[in-house]
Amino acid sequence: MNISSKMPDTNSAVQSVATDRTKAAKPPFLGFGLGLRAQHYDDILNSNPPVDWFEVISENYMLPGGQPLRMLDRICERYPVVMHGVSLSIASTAPPNFEYLSGLKELAKHVQPKWISDHLCWTGVHGKNLHDLLPIPYTQESLDHVVSRVQLVQDFLGREIVLENVSTYVQFANCEMTEWEFLSELSRRSGCWLLFDVNNVYVSAFNHGYDPYTFLNGIPTDRVVQFHMAGHTHMETHIIDTHDHPVCDDVWKLYEAALRRFGAVSTIIERDDNIPPLDELLVEVKQMRDIAIKTLPQIPQLLHTR
Amino acid sequence: MNEFERLQDEFQRGIMSGDSKVLDEILDSPKEKRDILFGVYRHAYVSRLVETLRNDHEHLHGYLGDEMFDAMGAAYVAAKPSQHPNMRWFSQGLPEFLRSTEPYCDHPAIGDLAAFEKALNDAFDAPDGPVIAIEDVAAFPPEVWNDLRFQQHPTACRLDLTTNAVAIWQALKNDETPPDVVMLAEPNRLLIWRDDVTPMFRELPSEEAMMWDEASAGIPFGVLCSMLATYADPDSAAARGAGYLHGWVTSGLLTGVSRD
Repeated sequence: MNISSKMPDTNSAVQSVATDRTKAAKPPFLGFGLGLRAQHYDDILNSNPPVDWFEVISENYMLPGGQPLRMLDRICERYPVVMHGVSLSIASTAPPNFEYLSGLKELAKHVQPKWISDHLCWTGVHGKNLHDLLPIPYTQESLDHVVSRVQLVQDFLGREIVLENVSTYVQFANCEMTEWEFLSELSRRSGCWLLFDVNNVYVSAFNHGYDPYTFLNGIPTDRVVQFHMAGHTHMETHIIDTHDHPVCDDVWKLYEAALRRFGAVSTIIERDDNIPPLDELLVEVKQMRDIAIKTLPQIPQLLHTR
Repeated sequence: MNEFERLQDEFQRGIMSGDSKVLDEILDSPKEKRDILFGVYRHAYVSRLVETLRNDHEHLHGYLGDEMFDAMGAAYVAAKPSQHPNMRWFSQGLPEFLRSTEPYCDHPAIGDLAAFEKALNDAFDAPDGPVIAIEDVAAFPPEVWNDLRFQQHPTACRLDLTTNAVAIWQALKNDETPPDVVMLAEPNRLLIWRDDVTPMFRELPSEEAMMWDEASAGIPFGVLCSMLATYADPDSAAARGAGYLHGWVTSGLLTGVSRD
């Protein structure tokens, strides 16, 4: 079914009533959190670990019912939660999937997340979904397209979204700007906030041969509301963003520099595969917190006044 | 088709069908050739979806072993590309694929095993619904019982299997050697549902399966008992019907009872 056919001329309808979201208030600083994974439900509910907040994968809870939603409700009773999706496909040239967006909006109504994030990427065209975070060429044409898509999604959801830089393995020959220029301009024009994945910056910089600190310093200081910290797999000539290892030293160093540039930013440890016991990840959350406090002494006060 | 659309079209075809045209549009990195780098996407596409199948069909995976399961998974990925944004639904078509595609369709236990695991997965996150108690049924006076209709719980589903796939599944679950495949003279009639958060299943006698199926279609209790009378001793049909009903209620299989 062509979902777009169910909607009345959406593009023009949305544009005619588009809200100016470029001056919206910045989401709050939540502290230091963890990506919620099903393996840890029991430990979290039994021990109330010292985690300031949880990021949940939206699609894992866009389900009819049962244990996942039940667990999510119990986590939401105890911790601030942010929804992080993998299938928004904001940069796809396929028609917007309003069925997906409706499901996302419904879940957000239920969860009341502090914000909703996804990735600057596409996941498929022609009705197919490759379930991967695919790269885009950084051109004026693609920028115009993504800006209009972000505006459409934000108006549909009634809130600003947060977009994350993805790890990429290829660069397009027709690029007209850098990734950081693209992200900056996208955020400035659409009002979306940025999720700065420190590991992904490191991975993409290595894969494409640029300095990750150039990327870091190219992102505006007032648009970043979240950091991701994760591990990866080194293949000698390139790095694959597997999210199945602890955070490496170089990424911790880049994190310190990101703290100095962006200030206190809500951060999580994101582990997607080879998931260790909760205690092991709590050590990384503590390390993340300790580095932040050492770099920005005002953080304990900010955490206290959250 | 504009330039951005054309690039996405070529990129997707490059991943899904091995078309190399997109390599003209991307660059070598300082340390690696573009075909190796693009290969990361090609490899990730199939392996991620096969991994999803492994997670959804743990015991089918155990039954077939890594090599055969992954070959089957790759064939499924090629035949039934994902069309849903949520990977949860990717494996939904696997039982039908296995029952209609050679060489798998020549081994019906494989399709049955997949269908059984799918039913348990579906019960796991099916919609929540209220559960009635014995008192809710007992509240109706005996003279109206013939008119009672029952609403099945939204997690409940029926499945008929032609092989001993459930015995194979149970052996695999218990880390035991699975029995040889047996083609059953009578289908194994299963009822699958969720008790609180746990998927459950039960094998039904043929007359209980008939009664459940007819009750699901809205047939009232009096007619259900008349139908049971054609299966076995007519004099005990009402008592057998009441017994099955009692079992359904105490197992949390009914979400409503009403008089017409």
